Amino acid sequence: MLFPFSFLQAQGPTYDADALAFFARVTAAGGSLTLTEKSAVNTLVLSMKANSIWTPMKAIYPMVGASAAACAQNLKSSSFTGTFTSGWTFASSGVTPNGTSAYMDTNLIPSSNMSNSSASMGFADNVSNTQPSGIEIGVQSATDGMTIWSNAFGVSNSRIARGADASSVAFTTGGRLYGSRTTATLQTLYRNGVSVATGVGAVTPLETVYTITLGGLNLSGTPNLFANGRYTFYFIGDGLSGTNITNLDSAIVTFNTSLSR
Amino acid sequence: MIGYILTNEEYNQVQGEFYTPEQFFNCVADINGVWYLFLSTQDKEDILNTTWNWILTLPEGEYIAPPAPPFPPVV
Repeated sequence: MLFPFSFLQAQGPTYDADALAFFARVTAAGGSLTLTEKSAVNTLVLSMKANSIWTPMKAIYPMVGASAAACAQNLKSSSFTGTFTSGWTFASSGVTPNGTSAYMDTNLIPSSNMSNSSASMGFADNVSNTQPSGIEIGVQSATDGMTIWSNAFGVSNSRIARGADASSVAFTTGGRLYGSRTTATLQTLYRNGVSVATGVGAVTPLETVYTITLGGLNLSGTPNLFANGRYTFYFIGDGLSGTNITNLDSAIVTFNTSLSR
Repeated sequence: MIGYILTNEEYNQVQGEFYTPEQFFNCVADINGVWYLFLSTQDKEDILNTTWNWILTLPEGEYIAPPAPPFPPVV
């Protein structure tokens, strides 16, 4: 049967295929996203693709949906779905570990997915960590490490494989922090898209056994050094250039601004 | 910080067990080696009507963290 004016039926928004796949994973896990969140994620994906920073990504956790089911999902692919411990609070404004026992396991082993001459990680927070030894993301064992932190031990730091760390002053207000290793001898720490420190020195292998955790540092298989900020974005990927970081930072700011957080 | 206090037996019952498809219990030992479990308000709602709700009846106490491990770690 034909209906008059059927051509005026409302059409749903058109989303990028990878954004759609992410939405499907969130739904399948029992989570849900608002139209505003879907639109923000879609814009984020398009921006990352337009600026050639989608392909280097291994895991992107946009922390939307205000539930463990939604926030555990990797935007980049169906791999590396996270698992949360008890002690997290999930809200539209971001996710907050308790700084005492809470972490998320990304199930991502660095050496299996990146190289020690090209690797990066980063996060955004809108409430900064206040634990003196709280580390926001990473893994480390006796001989290697892949971790960055904003203010633990009185400094901000990038340790993307050992060698010389890139260290700067502690950052105690919300913002974005990135660490990127682009050669076997150089890593750079970025704050809000701007380079703040470099580390130049021989590199060690990336971690081969243990997985990267969020909200705390995976110390040889036992997460510790828990953080307590409120986090709105995490990523892990191949090494990013300064231009890549500038573009990524802009995309994350746009993403979180559109979500009023 | 206030948390639930667990015996070793209770710790063995809950540690690493999933209470939702994406969330599992993680206990931490205090400075004296006593096990504590910290649950957010959302965690408590999640387990309220499950077989894990006995956790909510455990005694609570103030947690004193052990010293942070050496950094970089020594293995």
